[in-house]
Amino acid sequence: MTKAGDLCLSAAGARVILATSSDERHPAEHIMDGNPETFWTTTGMFPQEFIISLSGVFKINKITIHSSLVKNLRIETSISKEPVNFEPCTEKVLIFVYLLIYICFLLPQLSGIQAAHLRFVILSAYDHFVAVYSVSGDT
Amino acid sequence: MGKLTAKCIVAGDSSVGKSTLVQLFSSNGSHFLKNYSMTTGIDVVMKTVQIPDTGDSIELFLCDSPGKAVFSDMTEMQWDQPGCFCLVFDVTNEASFSSCTKWLQKVRSKTSSAQLPAVLVGNKTDLSDRRAVDKLEAQEWAVRHGLVYFETSAKDLENYELPFQSLAKSFYHMYQERVENFKSLV
Repeated sequence: MTKAGDLCLSAAGARVILATSSDERHPAEHIMDGNPETFWTTTGMFPQEFIISLSGVFKINKITIHSSLVKNLRIETSISKEPVNFEPCTEKVLIFVYLLIYICFLLPQLSGIQAAHLRFVILSAYDHFVAVYSVSGDT
Repeated sequence: MGKLTAKCIVAGDSSVGKSTLVQLFSSNGSHFLKNYSMTTGIDVVMKTVQIPDTGDSIELFLCDSPGKAVFSDMTEMQWDQPGCFCLVFDVTNEASFSSCTKWLQKVRSKTSSAQLPAVLVGNKTDLSDRRAVDKLEAQEWAVRHGLVYFETSAKDLENYELPFQSLAKSFYHMYQERVENFKSLV
């Protein structure tokens, strides 16, 4: 049984299988490396997205994201074997926090939603670039 | 090596030479539009700019926009979240210079970021006998509004690449600054 909060860590078998921005100094793998000091940066223009594939299908009750300067965020989930057929899970406007990492808790519209893949779409931001430090999914 | 992407709005009054500058820059000076054809929607042209002394580059998505007001409602919707801004006027046309304030306001209203790298371009310097806007005056206006000023002659292939290279550099520096900020937050 996977411990709560571990779902989105690479140590738990999760992988980032797509990211629309890639500065090799700040790759999307940094989101799930368990290190709070590393991050993924977007490199210009919106929307931007990344997809995390979990090690199996899990029931998710809460998603926590540590980020900077993200404004509109949409999360979609899929239970397919392949990362297709995504369904909207939740959408939120994050508040503007200057010079701090913003920690946001998102509750899926259906609590206890099942997911094998999580897709994070950053629709807009408070700046030209955003950073995502970590994402965790709690069962 | 990193690759950035920026949406670059190219705007200004009609027939000041926006499309010609965009075409020249994206074709490395080999494609000069001899005949006038009005731009009625947004023409997007992608051009990669290398940042000197780094392995990094920027893909500039140049959004060549119509100058005629009749098309503005449709096109300005597509200006959302601009990365940088190239404002063009014609140095032989006083009215096109006066319109710059309006264009700047319009584009700045589309960004939610504190900074928007922008350049002011006085085009058609080859028509020196018909010049109506003083270089110093344009320069002062640019500085006052936080833009970098360039004079170009698309016809004589003069300086056409400089405004875009300047924008690319500013955008790149902004990225570096932001990444340093992100690092300092942890």
